Amino acid sequence: MFEASGAAGVGDVMVYTSDNSGHSPEQMADMALNRIMIVSETAPPVIRDQAIAHRDKLKEVLIYYMKSMAQSERTTIWALMKKQGHDDMAEIIRRL
Amino acid sequence: MAIGTSAMCGSYKREIQVGIHFWTTHSRGDGSSIAADTYKVAMFTNSASIDLDTTGYTTGNEVSGTNYVAGGDALASVTLGLADASDVPVAFLDFADTTWSSATITNARGALIYNSTLANAGTAGTTTHAAKPSVCVLNFGGDKSSTAGDFTLQWPANSATAAIIRIG
Repeated sequence: MFEASGAAGVGDVMVYTSDNSGHSPEQMADMALNRIMIVSETAPPVIRDQAIAHRDKLKEVLIYYMKSMAQSERTTIWALMKKQGHDDMAEIIRRL
Repeated sequence: MAIGTSAMCGSYKREIQVGIHFWTTHSRGDGSSIAADTYKVAMFTNSASIDLDTTGYTTGNEVSGTNYVAGGDALASVTLGLADASDVPVAFLDFADTTWSSATITNARGALIYNSTLANAGTAGTTTHAAKPSVCVLNFGGDKSSTAGDFTLQWPANSATAAIIRIG
C-alpha cells in the first residue's frame, strides 16, 4: 500500500511456448485476444456469458486470418527462393 | 528454495520514492534530461530463491539454453499509463511482449524484472540499492519449457486493473 486507498501490485504474466516450431495460429490468436478484451470474473453471468461467446467468435476469425497470413508469408518466401534458383528449398516451404 | 508468489519487490517501492528508477527519459524544464534506464526480465528455475524480498538480480539458478543469454532480455516499448480503478488513481506500466525465438529453455518457473542500467550498488540520500536492483518477481505457476521453439512472456492488458506493474 502506498496510501490508505491504493495498492501496489503486479499483473498476471502469460507464458506461451512451442516445440520444434514457432507459435501456432491458435496461440497467436489467444495472445491477441488477451490484449484486445478482458472478461471480468465479477461481471453479471448474463453479460459474462455474452462476452465469452463474443471472444470465442473473435478467436475463430483471428485464427482464420492468422493461418492465411502464415500461408501468404510462405508464398512470399517460396517466390523469393524460386527467383534465386533454390527450387528444392522453395518446394519444402510450399509443402509446409 | 523456490520462487515466491508474484509480487512487487519491497526494495523497489522504497527506491521509487527517492527517484532511483527511470523507466522513461526525464526531460527537465531547464533543457537537461535524464536518460531512461534499461530494464530486463530474467527467468529462473524453481530452485532459485527469489521473492518480494529480493533486492537485486543474481545469476543463481537462472535458466540457460539455446538463444537464452544470461541476464535475460531487455523490456521494450515501455509505456506509462494513469487511470482510475474504483475511483483510485493507478499508475501502470506496460511493455512489448518478450520472446526468445528458436530457443530451447527448460523448466522456467518464474522471472525477475530488474534495472540493468544500475550495474553497481549505490545510494540516494540514505537509501541504498543493490546492483541491478529488482522491480518484481513473477511466478509462472508451473515449469515452462520450449524445445527449438518460441518462448513468449505476454504481459497483461495495459490497464489500471490488469497491467503488469501497478501503483495505486
